[in-house]
Amino acid sequence: MSGEDKTAVLLIRQSPGRPPDPYKMKELVGLARAAGYRVLAEISQRRGRDHLFQMGRGKIEEALSYRPQKLIFYNPLSPSQVYNIRSTFGAPVLDRFNLILEIFSCRAFTREAKLQVELARLSYDAPQVRSALALKKRGEQPGFRGAGAYEQSMYHDIRARMAKIRFELSAVEDKGESRRQRRREQGFDLVALAGYTNAGKSTLLNCLTGSEVRVQDQPFTTLSPTTRALDVLGRRVLLTDTVGFIDDLPHFLIKAFRSTLSEISEADLVLLVADISDPIDLLRRKLIASHKALWDCNVASPIVTILNKADRLNEREAALKAEMVRDLAPYPVLASAVNGQGLGLLEESLSQHLQPLSEHEIRLPYTSQGLSQLSRLYQNTELIAVRYEEELIVRLRGRKESLARAGLYKETLE
Amino acid sequence: MDISGRHEVEGRYEMVCAAVSARISPNFLERIGSVRLKHRQAGSLDISLISEIIIESCTGLSGIIIAESGDLYNLEVWRVKSILGRDFKYPQTIAERTAVELAHHISLAGLRLIRDGIDDERARSIE
Repeated sequence: MSGEDKTAVLLIRQSPGRPPDPYKMKELVGLARAAGYRVLAEISQRRGRDHLFQMGRGKIEEALSYRPQKLIFYNPLSPSQVYNIRSTFGAPVLDRFNLILEIFSCRAFTREAKLQVELARLSYDAPQVRSALALKKRGEQPGFRGAGAYEQSMYHDIRARMAKIRFELSAVEDKGESRRQRRREQGFDLVALAGYTNAGKSTLLNCLTGSEVRVQDQPFTTLSPTTRALDVLGRRVLLTDTVGFIDDLPHFLIKAFRSTLSEISEADLVLLVADISDPIDLLRRKLIASHKALWDCNVASPIVTILNKADRLNEREAALKAEMVRDLAPYPVLASAVNGQGLGLLEESLSQHLQPLSEHEIRLPYTSQGLSQLSRLYQNTELIAVRYEEELIVRLRGRKESLARAGLYKETLE
Repeated sequence: MDISGRHEVEGRYEMVCAAVSARISPNFLERIGSVRLKHRQAGSLDISLISEIIIESCTGLSGIIIAESGDLYNLEVWRVKSILGRDFKYPQTIAERTAVELAHHISLAGLRLIRDGIDDERARSIE
């Protein structure tokens, strides 16, 4: 079946005690389109949660009158609600979380991404399988006509597979850690691009580094991290593009993507990208969701905020909006990845907030070994002066990791 | 701010509320002005008692009160504001979450100190 053939009706139930939120439906439309669905209708209802179907029966019947292939709910569905809708209306259903997983599984190309998606899927399925088994076993006795060994073991099989994936992912994480260490030893500063999905992180990466990473105006185009080198006012930086954040993500999904998100938590600086052309309420909400995700990732490094897509607003509007999100946007820089506006300011801000390189004076023996060490220092650090006396006296500026690798992190001048 | 001990022990609630007054930027605690601990025992627990403890702890401290939503029964912000009669918000930024986490550690330590006291061995190890 081609992507064009997939049709869906989107449904959202909003609580009557709170003001209706139009952005939720817009986000769901974006997600559905990103998963390749053609949206036939958008249906919303303000009422309390229906324990059988999540929404009112009439609204589901209305949705089915469009003859969609799937009903996609914004609200999370419990296993019994999925069962009830399927058995009563004969309609396949998805909730927002499963829709996100569907997008992820379409775009997972690397082994790591595939494992992460599988882990997220199993983490979601495990409690559902357990509750389905509990429902099935209710009223039954063990032994003859019981639940059966196969179904009994299904939950344990899922847990075993999850443990195996976690083990494989921890090996990936270790590799990532040693790769980051190696890069620091080579004198690179690690900067991660983070932010809400579809904020323009990949476009910014392309604009800053001149690379051609895939960009699209839809959520979750990037799933696996992509790293490119960049020179920021004399400092060598590795910029890593990462998967975008989204509101109300379950904690286990963040845990499943831990090895990817460690690119953010272990970075020397985080560039938080936000779309300033969004309405102010939405912009604030996306920034709050990003802060929550960064908190979940245990980010302790400095954060610089890029208020991207500033070209879509006039100067006064952009400045006003930047002022309105001042409490949520550390060190804001107005920029546009499309026309390159503000990128100079961004580079200045980057170099200002990266940890300053410390100065060291090092003595090397005037031997072939000492000269080869000096040549490595030329590559990985910024040499200020070299005096060729009985010994080589080198004055340099660089990361302590670069010196530690050469076994030289002892004599610090300042 | 944070309240520890919101569970029943031997039919009573023994709570410690920590109020940390801090100046924050979006992602860092810039400066901690003061830390205040309030101890309260009660036979039952409701929102009016919680709000009373919070107001008592924050009296004289200017600024917005920030607390976890669980501490205020997940009430909406506008309702909490009207109950407390003070400006209030749930943590949104990294710095706000850090401040609440700090208050949580302080209130928990205060509660343990009141409940268990310092035993001699632990005191010696601290010395």
